[in-house]
Amino acid sequence: MITTNKLTKKFGDFTAVDNLSLSVKEGEILCLLGANGAGKSTTINMLLGFIKQTSGTAEINGLDVARNPLKTKEFITYIPENLMLYPSLSAIENLDYFSGIAGKKLSPHELTAFLKESGLQEEAFQKRISTFSKGMRQKVGIALALAKDTKVLLLDEPTSGLDPKASNEFGELLQKLKNKGVAVLMATHDLFRAKEVASHIGIMKDGKLQQEFVAEDISLTALEKAYLDTMNYKEVLS
Amino acid sequence: MLPYNFKYELRLLLRSRWIQLLSILLLVLFGFSTYNGKEKVEKRISDISNAKQEVKESDEAMLKLLDSVERGLEVSVSSWSIPTSPMAVGNNHPRVAAMEPQPMAFVSTGQADLFTHYIKPTVSGDDFALNFTEMTSPVQLLFGSFDLSFVIVYLLPLLIIAFTYNILSSEKEQGSLRLLASQPISIRKWVFQKLILRFFWLSILVTLSLLLVFFVVGIQPLEWVSVLGLVGLTLCYMLFWFALAFLVNLFVDSSAKNAVSLIMLWVLFVLLTPSVLNQLGNTLYPMPSRTLMINEMREQKVEATKRQDEILDNFLRDHPEYAINDSTQSRNFYHRYMASQKVVKEALEPIVNTYEAQLQRQQTWSKKLQWLSPAIVVHESMNQLAGTSTADYENYRGQVIAFAETWRSHLMTFLYNNTPFSQQEYSSLPQFEYSPTTNGTVGLSALVLLVISGVLLVFGFVAQGKSQKRGLLSN
Repeated sequence: MITTNKLTKKFGDFTAVDNLSLSVKEGEILCLLGANGAGKSTTINMLLGFIKQTSGTAEINGLDVARNPLKTKEFITYIPENLMLYPSLSAIENLDYFSGIAGKKLSPHELTAFLKESGLQEEAFQKRISTFSKGMRQKVGIALALAKDTKVLLLDEPTSGLDPKASNEFGELLQKLKNKGVAVLMATHDLFRAKEVASHIGIMKDGKLQQEFVAEDISLTALEKAYLDTMNYKEVLS
Repeated sequence: MLPYNFKYELRLLLRSRWIQLLSILLLVLFGFSTYNGKEKVEKRISDISNAKQEVKESDEAMLKLLDSVERGLEVSVSSWSIPTSPMAVGNNHPRVAAMEPQPMAFVSTGQADLFTHYIKPTVSGDDFALNFTEMTSPVQLLFGSFDLSFVIVYLLPLLIIAFTYNILSSEKEQGSLRLLASQPISIRKWVFQKLILRFFWLSILVTLSLLLVFFVVGIQPLEWVSVLGLVGLTLCYMLFWFALAFLVNLFVDSSAKNAVSLIMLWVLFVLLTPSVLNQLGNTLYPMPSRTLMINEMREQKVEATKRQDEILDNFLRDHPEYAINDSTQSRNFYHRYMASQKVVKEALEPIVNTYEAQLQRQQTWSKKLQWLSPAIVVHESMNQLAGTSTADYENYRGQVIAFAETWRSHLMTFLYNNTPFSQQEYSSLPQFEYSPTTNGTVGLSALVLLVISGVLLVFGFVAQGKSQKRGLLSN
């Protein structure tokens, strides 16, 4: 579903992403860990076609993103760190609008069903987004993924700033989507959540995928150690 | 995408306090400016009516005097003002040559605050000395009149700027652009649709506000055609500003920069270009001094006065119809004066022609370059709709000069035939009837604005396609 092959992005002399090759299949969650500036968000931006790669390829559902920027977006739902919806529209109106412009004409009944499935409380459906917490907005984002019948979910630090309960709920929602066959690529700093939800975990540094693990095969402590080793934080640890 | 943009753009606008404020502001501006324009027109109508009433009363007094004289009664007025003298009628009982306001005059003051709306040409007056200008307040001339055309030409673009400057940048600044751009839609098309929808809703708001205001001030059924012309022209002008906003939204990134760019364009098109063109027109085609022309006229008059007997003889030789009774009739001051007037006029003709030709050249130049600023085009078209354009006042001036000549000729026949003016002749006195110009360019102006807007929008589409390839959302 998500494939990058020697994907590289340079900003002048600075290489943000360096020969990145990765693959996320249906029903898999790949969590990319890394410090700020490691190249996680740049990778997601290239997968979304927001920025053009310097070299290499990025594919969504077998289609080259650079050549098919609009077609590939039909399969994608993107949830950034701070999902901004229209504050003066309600949750159901936002869902109707964004799924509508994405080409999904849904009835009020269907919209309500997707919001319910995303775990949003029913009394919030008609409330304006301006009254929503970040966690509630993320749920609307998940509802959009459900409404779009998305194949690929790109998440850029979605749990940062969420309280543990909201973060846990978000993790459960990701599992639901995973079970539906959605390929998820999540950039995060949250090692715990990554270990909880991921099928695979990659550690990025200097634009390169330094290490990749199968989530089941590594403990949280080992993951933390690997992360800190990769980041060269041994002194801090000691 | 369009149905959803259509549905939710309206909801977003209706829930925005800004649109509520804008609606009220538009209604207030349109209402107040229309009221202001109407007041000025009422004042103009009242002035003309008073002038006509004065003439009516003066005519009644004249007819009474004539009646007394014709019945052989003694009248207690000075001999030179007894209306049996055609010159007394021509000078003391002139007709009112009024430029009646057109039905849409309230829309635009145009040249109305510079020129007078009625003149009483006398038989001994000079055509070029006719005073068409009015005493005006320099402050009002500086700031212009607060009429409907002022609101549409100057203020409406500012409201459009406030309404459109951040369509794309606000999405970027609020963070919703990333979510939008992750949908399978073209951002360029999305901005275009948002802009067109805002144009659509603002057009409805403007049209309804204008129609409401016109309905309240009371528009005659026939005037509604002109009202529709005005609304059409306004919408085309709005589209031009929306097209500019489209370009700025696509090519400039932050809301602050967008706002400054659009305000600079407003200054360029609304203030700077008209002012520069005006200055350039005056520099390239400087007008000869009117004072010098009047001095020249006086000199010619003095010269003519010295040779009045000779001039009269020549005049009568040229006009044998006036010399029929010459052998038996005496010649007085007015016979010589009127003959010399004609000579003075002929002598001054080259100077007057130079003045007129230069004025014509200046106006032709300005007219050609008016297309550099849509604000000038729209203002001029509105002046034409209102019947207050430069061309309208030129037309009026021409008609007054022609009428003054008719008035003079009519009474000169009595003078040179030594025929006294009588009550019977009163009904045949020439009357002035103003014929307004009919060659308005509202349709052409609207069409040109549509074409310019179309070109800007197409340019935006094509050029932004390249820009998007570089990465619209790279930040």
